[in-house]
Amino acid sequence: MATELGLAVRRKSATPTSSTSIRRDSIEVSKLVDIDLCIGCKACEIACKEWNDLEVEETHNFGGYQSHEDLTPDTWDLMRFNEVDLEDGGIAWLIRKDSCLHCEEPGCLLACPAPGAIVQYENGIVDFDQEKCIGCQYCIAGCPFDIPRFDTETKKVYKCTLCVDRVSNALEPACVKACPTGSIRFGTKEAMQEYGKEKVGKLQDRGFEDALLYDPEGVKGLHMMYVVPRGEMLEEYGLPKDPTVTSKLGFFPAMGALRKLGSGAMWAGLLGSALFFLRTGRRFPPPEEEAVAAARSKGSEAPGERTDAATRHDADDSLDPGSEGDGHA
Amino acid sequence: MLREHDPERDIVRYSLADRVAHWWVSLTFIYLLLSGLALGYPRMAWLYQILGGGQTVRFLHPWVGVAFTLGIFYMLFAWVRDMTFDPVDREWARSLGTYSKEGHVDLDVGRYNAGQKGYYWFAVLTGVLLLLTGIPIWIPSLLSSGWNQAARIIHHVLFLLTVGGFIIHVYMSTAMFPGTIRGMTTGRVERRWAAFHHPRWFRDRDARGTRLG
Repeated sequence: MATELGLAVRRKSATPTSSTSIRRDSIEVSKLVDIDLCIGCKACEIACKEWNDLEVEETHNFGGYQSHEDLTPDTWDLMRFNEVDLEDGGIAWLIRKDSCLHCEEPGCLLACPAPGAIVQYENGIVDFDQEKCIGCQYCIAGCPFDIPRFDTETKKVYKCTLCVDRVSNALEPACVKACPTGSIRFGTKEAMQEYGKEKVGKLQDRGFEDALLYDPEGVKGLHMMYVVPRGEMLEEYGLPKDPTVTSKLGFFPAMGALRKLGSGAMWAGLLGSALFFLRTGRRFPPPEEEAVAAARSKGSEAPGERTDAATRHDADDSLDPGSEGDGHA
Repeated sequence: MLREHDPERDIVRYSLADRVAHWWVSLTFIYLLLSGLALGYPRMAWLYQILGGGQTVRFLHPWVGVAFTLGIFYMLFAWVRDMTFDPVDREWARSLGTYSKEGHVDLDVGRYNAGQKGYYWFAVLTGVLLLLTGIPIWIPSLLSSGWNQAARIIHHVLFLLTVGGFIIHVYMSTAMFPGTIRGMTTGRVERRWAAFHHPRWFRDRDARGTRLG
């Protein structure tokens, strides 16, 4: 979305000045995908394409129920199917709606070097402004969930907007509206957490002991959470166990420290040079006769004092009486 | 100071090709420095505006980087002959303290002193490494995001090192030692300058004819 839609902005990428937001009444929103209720119908995929007017991509059968192999710049929502053989001979059919999770601490936003290209609203939605995107794709490297996709034609990066244009007009996101089983829900973050916790309890009662609400601390929580019945199979679902924006080689703290060190060192270098100049000034060579005489005397020092052949060779040259340079013709 | 080239007082130090290569590298470096500052330091994002906007910067920075490294390669092959270290360099390096304090050490220095040679090898090494670490940042799909982030950190460290070298290089060749930058603009230096800073090279040129570069 290119506009800010009248929503309060919490922070913008590459914008070190403090947040402009002073409202107290901002309510954080969240989607929640109750995987237990998902039947894999892909209505959310269609609704996403329709609402966002995204180009339909030709699909092909690659041996499963999945429509597309991966997210693309034109496919922001994808039902992922994974069949896992269980030890008791049964099978776990894992279905997950894959789209942006709208991290509270968004790696994409922190990595982005283009001012305002990634915006986090007070309500928790993380949105890209393609008008300001420079196409560097740092957000892709910064995302713990491998969500943003680069379009080679527009040279911009795209992902789910959490239907920020609908939400700002008091409508639920398109995927939520289209979901026939109520698997995808939308509400305040608080209400969704409440629902999630209650549902996890019910699943555990039904024997899914590892059921969990996926809202990882490492990214300070999500604005699209999952209720995961088989919590022991997070990786098979395609969800990182402990995603954090700082776990990747300590990248963000390292970059922050480098920036501080770098700006300090560059200023020190400039000011240091200026101070050094004020203290020592310019270094003029002695008058020509003196300088030339000194250079020649260095060449005629007694052999043995200089050991390297090149020096002796030069010394020989300068002793040659016919060798005085005649300059340009 | 307005005067024509005086064969009696000048010695040729840099050929036209050498000078073109030097300014090629310096101008591309300055562009890379400014655009790199915009990309790496949010407080310097205003530089995007004077460099044609963020997308232009993102597009040009890598290509200018390639141009920069090509210039570095020219320097590597054209100047390497004069850049190998010799025993005088060891002595020079030992007197680095005196040199920085007094701006001179009384040694029979050739065409380049050890500091200049060191800066040359530093520029070659960082130039090549900046390109190598720049490629995965340029085309992120080549490597995994972990490697891309590692490349960005190394690229940033190299950037800081080169900025340090650049400040010292510019300071010494303009503010500190008068007559030095002339070598890179007109290609010629005064005999007085050459005899004082590079006595062994001075004798050689004086002997063989000052037209030689």
